[in-house]
Parts: sequence; C-alpha cells; structure tokens
Amino acid sequence: MLAQQLANGLAIGSVYAIFALGYTLIFSILGIINFAHGAIFTLGAYFTYTLMGLQFGFNGLLAQQKLPFGLPFWVALLVGAVIAGLFGVFLERIIFRPLRARGADPLLTLVASLGLAVAIVNIIQYLVGAETYSYPSGAALPGAPASVNFGTTEAPVIIRTAQLIIIAVAVLILIVLTFFINRTKTGRALRAVSEDATTSSLLGINTNQLIRLTFFLSGFVGGVAGTLVGLNVGITGPYLGISFGLKGLAVIVLGGLGSIPGAVVGGLLIGIVEALVPASLVSYRDALAFAILFIVLLVRPQGLLGRPLIQKV
Amino acid sequence: MNDFINTYGFLIISLVLQAILALSMYLPLMAGQLSLATPGFYAIGGYVAAILSVRTFLPASGTTFPEPLQSFVLWLGTVFPATPQGQAFPVSLLLVEMLIAGVLCGLLAIIVGLPALRLRGIYLALATIAFVEIVRVVSLNLPITGGSIGIFGIPQPYPTKFEFAWIAVPFLVIVALFVYRLERVRVGRALVSLREDELAAAAMGINPTYHKVLAFTLGAVIAGACGALSAHFINTWNARQGTFDASILILAYVIIGGSRTWLGPIVGAFLLTALPEVLRGAADVQGIPTFLAQFLKDGRLIIFGLLIAFSTLFFPQGLITPNLFKRRGGSEGER
Repeated sequence: MLAQQLANGLAIGSVYAIFALGYTLIFSILGIINFAHGAIFTLGAYFTYTLMGLQFGFNGLLAQQKLPFGLPFWVALLVGAVIAGLFGVFLERIIFRPLRARGADPLLTLVASLGLAVAIVNIIQYLVGAETYSYPSGAALPGAPASVNFGTTEAPVIIRTAQLIIIAVAVLILIVLTFFINRTKTGRALRAVSEDATTSSLLGINTNQLIRLTFFLSGFVGGVAGTLVGLNVGITGPYLGISFGLKGLAVIVLGGLGSIPGAVVGGLLIGIVEALVPASLVSYRDALAFAILFIVLLVRPQGLLGRPLIQKV
Repeated sequence: MNDFINTYGFLIISLVLQAILALSMYLPLMAGQLSLATPGFYAIGGYVAAILSVRTFLPASGTTFPEPLQSFVLWLGTVFPATPQGQAFPVSLLLVEMLIAGVLCGLLAIIVGLPALRLRGIYLALATIAFVEIVRVVSLNLPITGGSIGIFGIPQPYPTKFEFAWIAVPFLVIVALFVYRLERVRVGRALVSLREDELAAAAMGINPTYHKVLAFTLGAVIAGACGALSAHFINTWNARQGTFDASILILAYVIIGGSRTWLGPIVGAFLLTALPEVLRGAADVQGIPTFLAQFLKDGRLIIFGLLIAFSTLFFPQGLITPNLFKRRGGSEGER
C-alpha cells in the first residue's frame, strides 16, 4: 500500500519537478516569476494533440478541424515542445524584453505575465473550446500493457505505463538539462548571467541571447510537462495549467527559488506528500501544498536548497 | 433612465465594490508590500455574512453542540432571526455583519500578518497566494460554508440590485476619503517611506513591522466588510468568490489604475470591471462584420488579458500618477 502510494507520488512529483524547472530557469536569470508558464504548459499539451492529427470537438473556431497529417506521439511531443519553447521566446520578445529595456519594476513584469496567461488561456478556449481531450490509449508505447505490477499478487504495486513514461522522460530531461547547465560553455554563461547580468555582459556574454535561450528552455520543458500530464489524466481544458501553475509556486519555494536541484527535490517531496494523504482527508489535499508553502516561507524562506537571502544596502 | 438602471444597475454596484477591493489591496502596497491576500479576506467576509443571515451556523435538527457553544449558537440565532419569506433583510443587521466581518478579518490579518510580513517582495506575494488558496480549499470542505455548493438564497435587504448603492457608495466614499487622508498624515507618510526605502525608514525611527501589519490589517478589514456586502448583493456565496484569479484581477486594477495615489486603484477597478461589458456592447453595434462581433463577444477575455499585459509597457506608472495632480493643482505642497 505504501509502496503503491510512493510510486503514484513519484509520478506526479516528477511532473511537478519538470514543470517547476521552467519557473526556476526564468527566475534564476531574471528574478521574476513568469505566470504565463502555466499557460505555455497547457499550450504544449494542445500542440501535441494537434500534431498527432487528432480532431477537435464541437466548440470553438477550430471545431471539427484536424491536420491533414498525423505525427507519431513521440515526434509530436518533441515538435510540440519546440513550438511551445518558440512561443516562450515570442512572449519574451513582445513583452519581457521591452519591459527589461525600460528597467521596469519586477512587480510590473509579474502583472504583465499574468495578463499574458489570461490571454493565452482564453485564446485556447476561443479556438478549441473547453472540452476534454485525451491522447488515444497506447499512443506512447503501442502494444504495451496499460499497467505493470511491480509487487507480488498478494501485495500489488501497480504502476500505469503512462506513469512509468512520465518518470522516465522527467529523469531524461533532468539529466540533459543538468549536463547542459553544468558542463557546457553556454550553460556556464547562463550561470554567469544568473549571478550578475551586468558583469557578464561586460565580459562579452550576449545576455539577450541567453535570456532568449532561457525562455526557450523554459517553454520547452513546460510543453513536455503539459503533454505528459495530458497523457496521464487527459487535457481537461484550457485551465489545465492554472492549478499546476499554483502548485509549481509551492514547489519552487520549497526547493529554493532559482535552484534547479531544489525544483526537483521540491517537486518530488510535494508529489509524495500529496500521495500519502489519507483517503479521509483527500479533499483537503490541494491545500496541503500551500500549507507547506506557507510554513516553508515562515521558517526557511530561502527554501531547502536555496541560498540564504542577503539584504544589500 | 429607469431602463439604464435596470440594465446596468448590477454593473454599477459591481464597479463600486471592486473599487473598494482595489483600495484594500492598495493599502499594503502603499507600504511597499505586495500582498495578494485581499480575495481571501473578501471570501471570509462573505462567508460571515452568508452564515449569519442564512443561519447555517444552527445545528442540524436533533444534534447539539457541546455546552458553551450551544448557548452561543442559540443566542446568535436570536440576534439574527430568520428573515420571513417576502420580507426585506434589515439593513441594520447587514451593517452589523459588515462590522463583524471586518473585525474578524482584521484579527485574522494580525495573526497571519505578524509572521508573514517579515517576508519581502515576491515571497510575501507567494505567502498570500498560499493564504488565499488555503481559505478556498477549507471553505470547499467545511459543512458550515456549504461545501462545494456554497450558501445560496442569502436574504436581500433591497428589492432591486441598484439600491445597494445606498450602502456601497457611502462605503466607497468613506474608504476613499480614509486613504486620501492617510496619504497626508504621519502614519501614511511612514508607510510611503517604507515603500521607498525600508532601511532608511527604519533608521529614521519608523517601526517597519508595526506599520506593515497596520497597512495589511486595514486592507483586510476593508476587504472583509466588502465581502459581507457582496454576499448579499450576489445572493449566493461559494468558494469561487475568493480565488487566485480574483487576486490577479484586483492587482491589475491597482497596477493599471496607478499604484501611487488613492485615485489610481478606483479608476483601474472602474475601467477593468466595465471593460468586458463595454466590449460586449461594442459587439452589438450595427454594421461591424460578423466575425468581429463574434470575437468581441466570445474573445473579450483575450482582449482583456492583452490589455493588462501591454498596458504595463505603455503605462508603467498606471493611468493615474501623482504628477497628474501636481500639474493641474499647482500647489499640492511639497508632495
């Protein structure tokens, strides 16, 4: 029973983790929380659905439409995530860069990203309606069983194939991203910008280009996370990303704002703690992440793995 | 005129109520504290009014509470008697509810604010988002708040919605005057100095914690009382009334209207609350192409979101800035 819940927690926790990575990447560079990230997450799920050549429902401008071709799930996931990443770059170009150029208050940037989130969610609703969509069963691994029993027949630990895929993809993304940031030259430049943007631009690092890259990476992992959630529970409508967006805040604060390992630890912790909530209290589960968020902020505002906040005069 | 009031009465009162909420979020912002807790207190205030006037606090028939609570509940039942069918809810009781809601929210704000206001900037915003979400989930689950259905059939003090203006408009005027005066007395200037530079203000002998908690609590009192009024106005109250979405919206009122003067939040609330209705009206104008009319009707939230996003670029200070007064008035003093 415990093993089963841990497994469920691990699956949802790894989605939280890669979702929160998108927040954390942008926060570490720009010091802002990009609330449009939840909307990009939703977009990623819809992009994959569209690229697979699946038909839309009865509402919205694109009712009953579909692409003339259909890509296999994995290709669609990748292309969809790339488009989501490019969309992130587009948002950076039209809103965040002009705001940065004017030296805008972080508060103002926050409001701008909230406005973008509202606009994107409603554009989705305008185009394809608020219906629930889901990828065809077995889309990811044709022929694979729907679930695998890792326990014994007496004490079953049943993990659905979708959950296994989620965990595997999340681990893959983490490994690649960690390698990229810690071992490559661009990654090193990225860390330099997050340390001090002005100094690194004086040292010949193209700050604007790196910020664009950050938005791409953030959109990319957000798009992947969206598709994975769509695979697990279906695309439940344009508001899919909003609840994740809020949970993601709890995750990054728990792990430490701007810390990549922190986002992973925070995501897994919150996923597992949520899975361990007893059935009688399950309706309070959504408050749990926020209760943790509140307590962490009061006790250890820098989070589990973040650097302590130093106030400069 | 009557037609106009029948059509837009609800909207006009909504404008006033939203403006009050905007001012309640403006108060902590005056001290430089980005608090998004207003919808949480608004929700609690609304539940206080709904619980008291619909009398959901009474135990289900046959069950009793443990003793001190039981007598208290019965006493409360005599203070807030059931409103007979077809009769108006007494306005005096509505005012009492607003008072109770305000006091309760104020006390809660002190309890929440004392630890939370040690946090700065984005951290405080996150903590207050957490507060709003916790209030929402708890109210979704408690029997006294009606669970996910909420509380409906809240008794009406007036036969038409527009007559709520008798309470809402004076309430807004009082709050606005209060904030206007606050900006010009010692406490208010202390708040502004905290916004500009907390360290320097503290060095000048201003107690940061005291003033921050004060601003936060004042905002909570206003939001709570406004929630109590809104509950009667809207007639039903459920967990959808105080959500993160509402936090965004109210923050947008303040930022777009202007976060440096008392008038900004009011103007922002008026504009943004009226905007969806204006767009809906624009769709009915004769002679515009069908696809445009359709877009104005169904896509007005898209326009709304884009307006919020781009106004941060074009009006970074908000629409109403303190300079506006200076130029016009000439002798505002050395503000």
